[in-house]
Amino acid sequence: MEAMDLIVTAVKTAIIYLGMVQVVPIMLIVERRGAALIQDRPGPNRVGPFGLFQPIADVIKMMMKEVTIPRQVNKALYLLGPFLVLFPASLVIAAIPFGDFFTLFDRNYVLQVANIDVGILYVLAIGSLGIYGILFGGWASNNKFSLIGAMRSSSQIISYEIPLGLAACSAVVWYGSFSLREMVSIQEGTLLGVLPNWGIFYQPLGFLLFFIAAFAETNRLPFDLPESEAELVAGFHTEYGAMDFGTFFMAEYMNMATMSGLMVSMYFGGWHLPWISDATLLQWLGSRNLLAALQVLTVIVKIAVFMLIFVWVRWTIPRFRFDQLMRLAWKNLIPLGLFNLVLTALILYFKGAA
Amino acid sequence: MEAFLPVGFLLIFALLLCIGLFTVKRLLGPRNPVASKLAVYECGVTPEGSARAPFKTAFYLIAVLFLLFDVEAAFFFPWALVYRQSLSEGPALLIAMLVYMALLVLGLVYIFRKDCLKLN
Amino acid sequence: MRETLFMVFSLFTIAAASGVVLSRNPVYSAFSLILSFFGLSGLYLLWGSTFMAMIQILIYTGAIVVLFVFVVMLLNLQTVRENSPNLLFLVGAAAAVWLFSLMILRVLTRAIPNKAVEIPTDQLRAISKLLFTRYLWPFEVLSLFLLVMIVAIFAITRTQEIPQGGEKK
Repeated sequence: MEAMDLIVTAVKTAIIYLGMVQVVPIMLIVERRGAALIQDRPGPNRVGPFGLFQPIADVIKMMMKEVTIPRQVNKALYLLGPFLVLFPASLVIAAIPFGDFFTLFDRNYVLQVANIDVGILYVLAIGSLGIYGILFGGWASNNKFSLIGAMRSSSQIISYEIPLGLAACSAVVWYGSFSLREMVSIQEGTLLGVLPNWGIFYQPLGFLLFFIAAFAETNRLPFDLPESEAELVAGFHTEYGAMDFGTFFMAEYMNMATMSGLMVSMYFGGWHLPWISDATLLQWLGSRNLLAALQVLTVIVKIAVFMLIFVWVRWTIPRFRFDQLMRLAWKNLIPLGLFNLVLTALILYFKGAA
Repeated sequence: MEAFLPVGFLLIFALLLCIGLFTVKRLLGPRNPVASKLAVYECGVTPEGSARAPFKTAFYLIAVLFLLFDVEAAFFFPWALVYRQSLSEGPALLIAMLVYMALLVLGLVYIFRKDCLKLN
Repeated sequence: MRETLFMVFSLFTIAAASGVVLSRNPVYSAFSLILSFFGLSGLYLLWGSTFMAMIQILIYTGAIVVLFVFVVMLLNLQTVRENSPNLLFLVGAAAAVWLFSLMILRVLTRAIPNKAVEIPTDQLRAISKLLFTRYLWPFEVLSLFLLVMIVAIFAITRTQEIPQGGEKK
C-alpha cells in the first residue's frame, strides 16, 4: 500500500504541475487577445480558429530561435539565470489547495501537492528566491541595462515582500493557522446569512495590500519597472533571447497563477462555492470524487478571474516611476500593513472579550 | 516532514522541465555567431565603460532595511499563530506585540523623518 | 531513508559551504551560500521542525544573502586577488582553527544519540507561546536592537556619503 500511495502522489503531483505549466500557453493567448480587446484592435486571429493556436506558434518560434550567448557574459550564471527564476516559481505551487480530497482505492488523497502545515510560510519563503534569478541573470549579462534592471527589480521585490508578509500575517492572526488548507476550510458557510463566509469580508485591507504587493512581486504593470521596456530596453533580461527569454515569461505567468491561487485560498473561499456547503453538494452529487472535481473546477475558475484582472490592470494603468514605487511601498503599504495587523488583533481581542 | 515528500517529487519534475527546456533550446536553435551579434547590447551604440560600475548606496540601504523588517516580520508569525488561541488568557500577548511593534514603528518614523530612502 | 537523506543533506551543505570559501568570485560564493542554506533547511525539515526550515529560507536565503549579493554588486568586487599572509590573516586563521577544534572536541566528547529527535507538529504552537511568555524580555530587547540597528545603518551610510559628493538625486 505504501508504494501505491507514492505512485498516486507522484502522478497527482505531475498532473498538478503540468496543469500549472499549461497556464503559460493559455495566458499567452489571453493576454494578447485581452490587450487587443482593450486597445480596440483585432489581436492575433490568424493561426487556427480565432487565433487559438497562436501560443503553439509562439512557443515553436521561441524554441527555433538562435541561441546567442554574448561574449561579455559570465557564462555559468548567465545560463543558470532563467532557471533560477523558473525553479522557485515551480516549487511554490506545492502549497496551493485545489480541493478537499479525492478517493482512490478506498484511500483519501488531498487535492494539493503537499499538505504543508506551514503553507503560507512555505510560499513566502520559496517565493522570495525568485529574486536570485533576476539578480544573477542581470549581473552575469554584464550589460548596463541588465544590471540597472536587476538592481531596480530586486529592490522592488524585496520592498513589496514586507507588505505581502504583513498582509499574510494578519490573515494568519485571523485564521489562527499557517496551513492554507485550514484557512480554506474555515471559510465555509455564510456570514450574517447573506454573504459567503470568505476572508475578504474579514480582511478587506489585508486583501488590498496583498493584491497590490502581488502585482509588484510578479513584476506586472503598473509595477513592471524591472522590464520597463521604454527605459531599460528589457531590464534584467536584455541579453536573453530565444527560450531563455521564454523561460522568464513562463516563470512570470506561473508566479501570477500562484499569487492568484494564494488570494483565492486566503480571501475568496478556496474551493468553496458561495452559499452552498460542501455537505449539501455532496448530497446532491452523491459522490466524493464528483465533489472533488467540482471543487477543482471552482478553484480554477476563481484563479482564472484573478488572471483576467492581472491582464486587465496591465493594459489599463500606466507604469510607476521608481521613486513613486518605493514611496508607495515604504510610506503607504508597510504602515498600512502594520495598522491592519494591529486592527485585526484588537478586533479579535474585543470580540473575544465581549 | 513526511508532508514535504511530494515537494521532492515536484522538485524532480521542475528539474526535468528545466533540463528539458535547456536541451530543446540547444538542439533546435541554429547557431551562426557573428562578432557583432555577440557584442554587448547598448542600443546599437558602441558600449562605453564597464557595466560593473559601483552603484548608489540607496539600493544597499533598501536591502538592509528589508533584512531588518524581514526579521521583525519573522517574529510576527509565531505570535500570529498563537494569538487567537490565547485570547482567553488576557491581554498579555496583545501588549507584548504592541510594545514590539511600537519600537518598529519608531524605526519607520525615523526613516521617514530623516528621509533616509530619499523618498521625498 | 531518514539516514540516507541526512547524509545527502549534510554532504550537500558541506560541499556548498566549501564552495563559499573556495571560489574566487564573490558572486559564486554568494550562490554557494544559498545552496548551503538550502541544505541546512533540508536538515531542519528532517528533524521535523518545519517552521525553522521555512524561516531559515525566508530570512537567511531570502534576505541575508540578498544583502550580501547587493553589497558584492554595489561595490563591484572582482575576483579576489591572492594576498600574502599578513599578521591579521594569521590571527584570523588561528581563531578559526581554535573555534573549529572546540566544536569538534565538543562533538567528540559528547555521546551522540543515534536517532534524530522528532518534534511533534503542535510543538510549534507551544514554542511560540514560550517565546511570548517566558522569553518575553529577550524578545522585546531584540526589537530594541533592531531599532538601534536601523539608526546605526543610516548613521554609517550618511558619513560615507558626504565625501563621495557628486551623487544625484
